[in-house]
Amino acid sequence: MSNDEKPRIGVYICHCGENIAGAVDVKAVAEFAKTLPDVVVVRDYLFMCSDPGQELIKQDIRDGLINRVVVAACTPRTHEPIFRKACEDAGLNKYFFEMANIRDQCSWAHWHEKEKATEKAKAIVAAAVAKARLLEPLEDRYIELKKDVLVIGGGIAGIFASLDLANAGFKVHLVEKSPSIGGNMAKLDKTFPTNDCSACILTPLMVEVANHPNINLLTYSEVESIEGSVGNFKVKVRKKQTYVDWDKCTGCGACLDVCPPKARVPDEFNEGMSLRGAIYIPFPQAVPKKAVVDMDACIKCGGRDFSGKEPKKSKSGKPILAPCERVCPTGAADRTPYRDPNGEIVELEVGAIIVATGYKVMDKRVFKEFSPDHPNVITAMQMERLISATGPSEGKLVKPSDIPKLLEAKKKGEKVEIEKPHTITFISCVGSRDNRYHTYCSRVCCMYMLKQAMILKEKYPDLDIYIFFIDVRTPGKDFDEYYMRCRQLGIKIIKGRAGGIQPIPGDKLLVKGYDAEICKPVEVVTDIAVLATAIEPDASLKELARTLGINVGAEGFLKERHTKLYPVDTMTEGIFIAGCAQGPKDIPDSVAQAKAAAASAMSLLEPGKMTVEPLISEVNKEKCTGCGVCVPLCPYGAISLVKCEDGKLRSEINPALCKGCGVCTAACPSKAITLHGFTYEQVLAQIRTIARWPEIQA
Amino acid sequence: MIEPEEGVPTVLNLSEIAEREKEEEEKVVEIVREFGAENLIYCMQCGSCAAVCPLARVGFEWYNKKLIKALLLGLKEELLDDPTPWACVACNRCTEVCPRLVSPFEVMFAVRRMMVEEFAIPTLAIEGLRALYEYGHAVYMTGREARKKVGLPEKPPSTDSDEQALKDLKTILKNTKLAELGLIPMND
Ligand SMILES: Cc1cc2nc3c(=O)[nH]c(=O)nc-3n(C[C@H](O)[C@H](O)[C@H](O)COP(=O)(O)OP(=O)(O)OC[C@H]3O[C@@H](n4cnc5c(N)ncnc54)[C@H](O)[C@@H]3O)c2cc1C
Ligand code: SF4
Ligand code: SF4
Ligand code: SF4
Ligand code: SF4
Repeated sequence: MSNDEKPRIGVYICHCGENIAGAVDVKAVAEFAKTLPDVVVVRDYLFMCSDPGQELIKQDIRDGLINRVVVAACTPRTHEPIFRKACEDAGLNKYFFEMANIRDQCSWAHWHEKEKATEKAKAIVAAAVAKARLLEPLEDRYIELKKDVLVIGGGIAGIFASLDLANAGFKVHLVEKSPSIGGNMAKLDKTFPTNDCSACILTPLMVEVANHPNINLLTYSEVESIEGSVGNFKVKVRKKQTYVDWDKCTGCGACLDVCPPKARVPDEFNEGMSLRGAIYIPFPQAVPKKAVVDMDACIKCGGRDFSGKEPKKSKSGKPILAPCERVCPTGAADRTPYRDPNGEIVELEVGAIIVATGYKVMDKRVFKEFSPDHPNVITAMQMERLISATGPSEGKLVKPSDIPKLLEAKKKGEKVEIEKPHTITFISCVGSRDNRYHTYCSRVCCMYMLKQAMILKEKYPDLDIYIFFIDVRTPGKDFDEYYMRCRQLGIKIIKGRAGGIQPIPGDKLLVKGYDAEICKPVEVVTDIAVLATAIEPDASLKELARTLGINVGAEGFLKERHTKLYPVDTMTEGIFIAGCAQGPKDIPDSVAQAKAAAASAMSLLEPGKMTVEPLISEVNKEKCTGCGVCVPLCPYGAISLVKCEDGKLRSEINPALCKGCGVCTAACPSKAITLHGFTYEQVLAQIRTIARWPEIQA
Repeated sequence: MIEPEEGVPTVLNLSEIAEREKEEEEKVVEIVREFGAENLIYCMQCGSCAAVCPLARVGFEWYNKKLIKALLLGLKEELLDDPTPWACVACNRCTEVCPRLVSPFEVMFAVRRMMVEEFAIPTLAIEGLRALYEYGHAVYMTGREARKKVGLPEKPPSTDSDEQALKDLKTILKNTKLAELGLIPMND
């Protein structure tokens, strides 16, 4: 069907059940549409997107009645592909189709003004018909897709996404910013709802990642920049300087204890409840198990600063080395060679990206009402470390204020008497469901408080445990049964979020709460108070999202393309999200999303090429004056000035990069750029129809 | 501070209550469970029982739902003088609606038993027990004169007028905890 043929337009008006017909007089719009130029067929139907609805269009095309299609219905975002396909199936170029949105932009918006809604629907249909008269046939394009995938973040979500892809034969580059993979799950003691040991189920997976032939593991690395688009992303990754030769480091741990006291800083893995040296391995099961030097903490013993200088000599002629390099049996910690503080840049080419950068727990310090500076007021994540066998007290329940004493004694090989805590009190929703901080529910706190309480009560039945909840939220599989188990153990559940914590003599804390079930203020004298602080996006997430060109929502988590239908996709094609980077969730949900993201990446890349809509811009070389205005405007860097045969510079658009945003088209002073599917003539015809509406109506 | 004689204090110090339970080496939850309120700990405080309980409707303070929570918190002494459990009419509406199969009615009666054990019984209840022992009726039968006047036998045709039955009843009662507690004279 050529463009020269006179347009014969079919207009199809959808009732969308009551969604449109409830506000718009569909029959009146249909009658009106019959009066529009070049319109030869007008029909209305209950659901145009249904099979019989689409069949109406197909039949009219096959019968040769029409060669242009206008559907007046809902949004092209969800439904345009369906109707285009219907046109194509019936033998019409699918770009001879135009959609008029009379639902989202009309009936829904003007539900209580039915007459005006009907008039507006007529105007929208008239504009669409005006454009449809000028439509041109277009052909789809194809782009080649690279099959490698970049996964950012090596928590449980990133680990699963990587393994699924790698097992399916895709090459994966897993970039993790800290020295080891594992993420927050590595810090947990046991995991609800089955209470299996976190390390026991996580460590084998971490090892599998490290050994997988299809996974290129880049820890202590961060994404620096990204160019390109779906199927062809060019990624620069910075491998940060570790200051330890990882080819030589065996993870023996000899260097860990020799750092002098001045170089000891709070240990991130133990949530600040113990100290680590400047040279450290994050935790015993780290993968890869390699040491790094934290240069902010390192005091450069003996002036050993990696500047390439040979060590000074002592009087006896022996070289003066820093303790770490002296004890290192493999020479990995050697401080003589120069090491570039900027690390190294690795360039990758990938077809898709999965972002799984997780979360951090909110800092307790802002909650002044809970005496956050008291050592025995801790976050729930600190409690995980406190009850973990790899934690600062090796799993022995002590008051955090007693940990320094305990560690000192351990160092000296002495035994100390430490008083056992008798009472532990948990406070829920600290920073969650709180308009001062985060409006959302952090989703896992109810369950992990119950879990920690259960673990503690089972191990120490004499403990008195209180949990102050706003309400107990246990919506997962087997979760409410878990909650009931806690109640049976005699853990006291108080409905009502505590309002304050006050230190009292005897190294105790007074928790002030309210029992909303018996309507009385209540008080608890406790040894340890645990604050279930909110799960929040990492501070660096916004920056990463900007680098990637994906959106973050109001709460700061990565935004999915569609909450229900595209939960792991983003608005940028080829970039997927999984785990807590998308919003607070537990391990089962993080894993499910990771597997979904991996499957989505596979189904995108497996065919090796993909169709792209031809709705992109093109420069008319005859009109272009080479002014270059458009070049810096393109957000995708698709335009460059190239020398033509006549020696003049003119703009050229790379069709693989152009997204059809139209910025250049609007900006070109010579009207030299055409955005296919939205040409000047087409858009102006729409605008004129609406601008002259009062006239037309009369 | 907890002052048992004063009923339930306005501010509850839960640690002190827990401490007291430890000192006394018995948990109130265990006591009432033994007295028949076996499923008490499954209560999730949904309030269905209170929605249908006539006691809650007429303003008794420690109706089923609240009483259960108070017990779960470890209150005991504070509740002993409360009249609510004695007001329970045993209608069992609460039992029918409870989604956790707690049988709040059983809790009410278990608390009564606990109160009896602690000699915290209202006079009215003692009168009832005495009448039960003496006539076979918990609610004492007045109006014997009136019965005679209208030509009825002085005693109704129940245990009261059946010597053997009354004797049997007394034997039964003497073999219950009631005799052990010595709340009423049971000499004959
Ligand atoms: C106290 C507490 C107890 C919990 N207990 C349980 C439980 O018992 N059961 C349960 O199911 N869930 C539990 N959870 C939830 C659980 O921790 C999360 O569901 C899970 O860890 C989420 O995994 P993730 O991979 O999405 O994120 P994370 O574990 O946060 O992993 C993200 C990874 O990405 C890395 N990263 C971040 N930014 C970048 C970047 N820019 N570049 C490269 N790498 C980056 C991080 O270093 C990290 O390794 C608990 C949570 C808390 C706070
Ligand atoms: S030089 Fe080595 S021993 Fe000294 S502070 Fe730095 S890492 Fe620790
Ligand atoms: S339409 Fe123009 S500005 Fe937009 S992406 Fe294409 S070339 Fe760039
Ligand atoms: S049985 Fe007792 S507690 Fe239950 S509804 Fe009736 S009066 Fe209330
Ligand atoms: S109905 Fe049952 S679960 Fe609900 S408050 Fe009453 S006893 Fe508790």
